[in-house]
Amino acid sequence: MTAFMTPPTMPPMPEPALLTNPSAQRRNPLLLVGGVIVALIVATALVSFFWTPFPTILTDTDHLASPPGAGGHLLGTDLYGRDIASWLMVGAQTTLYVGIVAVGIAAVIGTPLGILAGMVRPAWSEFLMRITDIWLAFPALLMALIFATVFGASITSAMTAIGIASVPSFVRVVRSGTIVVMNADYVLAARVAGRRSPAIALKHVLPNIAGLVIVQCSVSYAIAILAEAALSYLGLAGGPTTPSWGLMLFQGQAVIAGDPLLVIWPGVAIGLAVLGFNLFGDGLRDRYDPRLSGR
Amino acid sequence: MWWQIVRRLLIFLVSALVASIVVFVLLTVVGDPARTALGTNATPQALAEMRLRMGLDRPITTQYLSWIGGMAHGDFGTSFVTQLPIGPQIGERLLVTLWLVAGGMVVALVVALPLGTLAALWHRRVAGWILSGLSQLGIAVPAFLAGILLIAAFAVELGWLPSGSYVVPATDPIGFLKHMVLPWASLGLVQGAVLARYVRSAVLDEMGQDYLRTARAKGMTLWRAVIRHGLRNASIPVLTVLGVQMITVLIGAVVVERVFVIPGIGSFLVDSVARQDRLAVQGIVVTIVVISLAVSFLVDTAYALIDPRLRRR
Amino acid sequence: MIRKRARLLVSAAAVALVVSACTAGAGLQPSSSTGDQSTQSATGGSTTPSGGSGSTGTETSGTSGSSSSSGSQPAPSDGTLTLGLVLEPVSLDFTTQSGAAIPQVLLDNVYETLVNQAQDGTIVPGLAEKWTVSPDGLTYDFTLRSGVTFSDGEPFTADDAVFSINYVKTKWTVNVADAMKVVASATAVSPTELKVVLSHPDNLWLFKMTTRIGAMMSPKHVDKLATEAIGTGPYVFSNWIHGDSITLTRNPHYWGSTALEKTIVFKYFSDPTAMNNALLTDQIQVITTVQTPPALKQFDDKSKYTIIDGTTNGKVMMTMNDARPPLNDVRVRQAINYALDKPAILKAAWAGYGTVIGSHEVPTDPWYVDLANRYPHDVAKAKQLLAEAGQTHLTLTLALPPVPYAAAAAPIIVSQLADAGITVKTTNVTFDNWLAKIFAKPYDYDLTIINHVEQYDVTTVFDGTPDYYTQYTNPKVAELEKQGLEGDHATFIADFQQVMRILADDAAAAWLWAFPNLMVADANVRGLPQNAIGESLNVFGLYTS
Repeated sequence: MTAFMTPPTMPPMPEPALLTNPSAQRRNPLLLVGGVIVALIVATALVSFFWTPFPTILTDTDHLASPPGAGGHLLGTDLYGRDIASWLMVGAQTTLYVGIVAVGIAAVIGTPLGILAGMVRPAWSEFLMRITDIWLAFPALLMALIFATVFGASITSAMTAIGIASVPSFVRVVRSGTIVVMNADYVLAARVAGRRSPAIALKHVLPNIAGLVIVQCSVSYAIAILAEAALSYLGLAGGPTTPSWGLMLFQGQAVIAGDPLLVIWPGVAIGLAVLGFNLFGDGLRDRYDPRLSGR
Repeated sequence: MWWQIVRRLLIFLVSALVASIVVFVLLTVVGDPARTALGTNATPQALAEMRLRMGLDRPITTQYLSWIGGMAHGDFGTSFVTQLPIGPQIGERLLVTLWLVAGGMVVALVVALPLGTLAALWHRRVAGWILSGLSQLGIAVPAFLAGILLIAAFAVELGWLPSGSYVVPATDPIGFLKHMVLPWASLGLVQGAVLARYVRSAVLDEMGQDYLRTARAKGMTLWRAVIRHGLRNASIPVLTVLGVQMITVLIGAVVVERVFVIPGIGSFLVDSVARQDRLAVQGIVVTIVVISLAVSFLVDTAYALIDPRLRRR
Repeated sequence: MIRKRARLLVSAAAVALVVSACTAGAGLQPSSSTGDQSTQSATGGSTTPSGGSGSTGTETSGTSGSSSSSGSQPAPSDGTLTLGLVLEPVSLDFTTQSGAAIPQVLLDNVYETLVNQAQDGTIVPGLAEKWTVSPDGLTYDFTLRSGVTFSDGEPFTADDAVFSINYVKTKWTVNVADAMKVVASATAVSPTELKVVLSHPDNLWLFKMTTRIGAMMSPKHVDKLATEAIGTGPYVFSNWIHGDSITLTRNPHYWGSTALEKTIVFKYFSDPTAMNNALLTDQIQVITTVQTPPALKQFDDKSKYTIIDGTTNGKVMMTMNDARPPLNDVRVRQAINYALDKPAILKAAWAGYGTVIGSHEVPTDPWYVDLANRYPHDVAKAKQLLAEAGQTHLTLTLALPPVPYAAAAAPIIVSQLADAGITVKTTNVTFDNWLAKIFAKPYDYDLTIINHVEQYDVTTVFDGTPDYYTQYTNPKVAELEKQGLEGDHATFIADFQQVMRILADDAAAAWLWAFPNLMVADANVRGLPQNAIGESLNVFGLYTS
């Protein structure tokens, strides 16, 4: 599962150099492609709130696993006669929802911890980083399996587990960004002028690392999508009537030999979403970090 | 220098201890393991008996110490669900998973090194973009989907390879290899795509270094310069990632083992979760976590030994 | 009294769960089964040649009639047959471990019983050549086969039978052992003569002796039951790779005809697709439980695969909490039944395999009345009934245990009920929670889907008193069941037919389909049992042509 293989931290990736000034407004195809895909998914999800070709609840038992076009179903139907196009659209909602909650948890816990680790004395910082290292030894899937044992398998426990498991990567990235900012002249000046740490954190650090946090959100988002798909496959996510791409993939794989489309549609949707968020994140990173895109 | 190693070792030991406490607290203190073990046989009397048998009446610290003490000499306890000792099963299945992980890593390296290096060398050309795009696509494919597709193509359609299950290498080495090709590929290809990005960025980093410019100024082609000097230096960060990735491959094996019906530690974990066998889950999770920490310790130490910049400290 | 002893086995065709409700629903345990290998218990004696009239069994050749092999059987071969199964046992000891996974492999194949149940449900000789029952129904005299040995070489005698029976009474910890409590004494009259005296007549006892509690064990090996299995059967336990497979090999000293296939491997798959792929790529020869019938399309080629579509005693149903408002209103329950298009559910969820049913019965039950069309699909009628009940904006929760048929039926049920204006929210529940909160008090649920697999279990599931999770209360039903069990055959059938009609009229549940025994095998595999009868997957008659 890529989600769990993607190193939670990215050790040799570029140091967060100066993040304040996006380098020249250069044309950035990565960002553009990624942005378009992400926008497309968000738009699809928004539209699905108001309109889908068929209700996702509807099972057209006269058209089971039918090919595209049959019975007015644009992309065909699944094993239970549900409209695939509608399910893909509402699945985008679930994807966004899972991602937002998981990444939200990670960002809300990870960012302050990271800033703290970057601002406190080295000994404390070291201590916090050791904790982060231990935390890192509990990747998303492992965390989700523990949660499933203790709290039972549900989409909520899966999201929470993925979110908690994503905290340490935020801490690491934010901490290194914070250290860079803390050594900038204007912050040194502010400190000499006697501004207190919370004020510095809010006034100077947070705005300057915002870019980094957004990049990390995007990367974690891709991981969360993959994790949800894997958990659906293991039967540890939502129920059989909650539209989700992971569930579609799981239900479709049983008949991959006869009806490969049932796997291909959600597979492509998941792949596109992960690709989109990854490209978006990479694009942002390149934009903020001149070293990679500049060469 | 020695102090560095001792210090890291101490950190590793303390981390492992802390991790074991976290696992213990999550799985023993939260909820009621006796109730979980009994299911609905849980009459008040049966519950009391089971608590006694599981030692849940003792103070929490005593419970933890006896658990950790047992593990120190390989006794992970006996499952209250299956009545089987947990330690031997973990050992047996870990071996299977290690084969899977090792092969997956080899495939990943074989894919990532050329892909990443070429993508870096060609980074301003269309070919470089295409290679980067390929690795992006590889990352976007869930490993289990890759596995399902590989089975559909190479096992079911073409009939070249078995669709799953495990053969012990000692009894049938050829059969072992045949059975492992697809699992290795589905772990390794996706993983290779992830790794390729790090190789690319590491090589790009080195390409900007002065010594490479010097080498080129002296008339070496970029290719030769990169291969002679760049790759060696780039290998340090790549090795670090490799260490981190070994851990993530170990976790990723959970899903791949399910797709290919491989009796490794990942399928043991998923089965134990399904059986609500908390003691087994506890033992397996601690094993995986400690292995993760041990790998980072080894990588850190190796890094300290190899990297001259760190050695100087 | 009979009713009290009747157990219920709710089994899940796949990930598996067996609920053994012993003595009126107390003491349940989550365990394992594969659904089609259901455990059964009779509550009426109608199909068993036993009972107070003093019947005699006759000798037939071979072991049991549980294999449908026919005609020209080939000579024994040295081949290996690999069967795909769903749920792996956790140990080999079914005296302390409940669940269907262990007897599925070991019973009949490794351990044998004095009597067996044939495909038609009648009781036929096993290790006992014949037996007589005294007219008062208390004394059973068995004549045992001579020349039978355990696989360790020791002879099997009446002393071993006495030991085995007493061992069930004293050492077994699983609650199925309670069925042996009725035995007052077991004595070895001679090495081949066994006398069993019951404390009171029990039409079920001989039937029970065909199940795991009737397994004949050797006194020398009972301390290692978890890891060894020494029996008299046609196969011996060979080895077990945890998480993968159990291997049985032919017993060369078997008393009956030699098993046809030398090696049988029971290989376990937690993933249905992996099992399908294994058959497609020749790694296994039989899928013993099809969990995704829509995937059967890939086995359409009749020259390569055989699809076995037999019967089980399983009744897949959407259970309703009959005591909880608004489901305590019969009109609401009837409306739900009218809203469901059961043939469409069967077609979409289980690819049309199985039979639509309308009450708590399967077509093979002796009292079967076809009530499948008691509530024809009629949305208008459903809406009208709901309006009469004042429930036009009804919202219900459907709890789904982790079994494939529940996940498969739920989407269609939700959709069809929505057409009638009923909003259904589905929630996934773990087995633990299903057993603890739904199946046991506080019976916290509106609707759930489960396969009740046990034969003749209507007297447990719908006993007319609110002591069961269905919470169906009807003194008339309780009275009819009691009268039927005690009466003669005609009364028994008539009363139970009446019960079936009342249950259907009261819409005590929404019965969906009779669960099929669905297997797929390579076309050259012969001798697979057509119908799932006993607790074992009997491999004795298996061979490849």
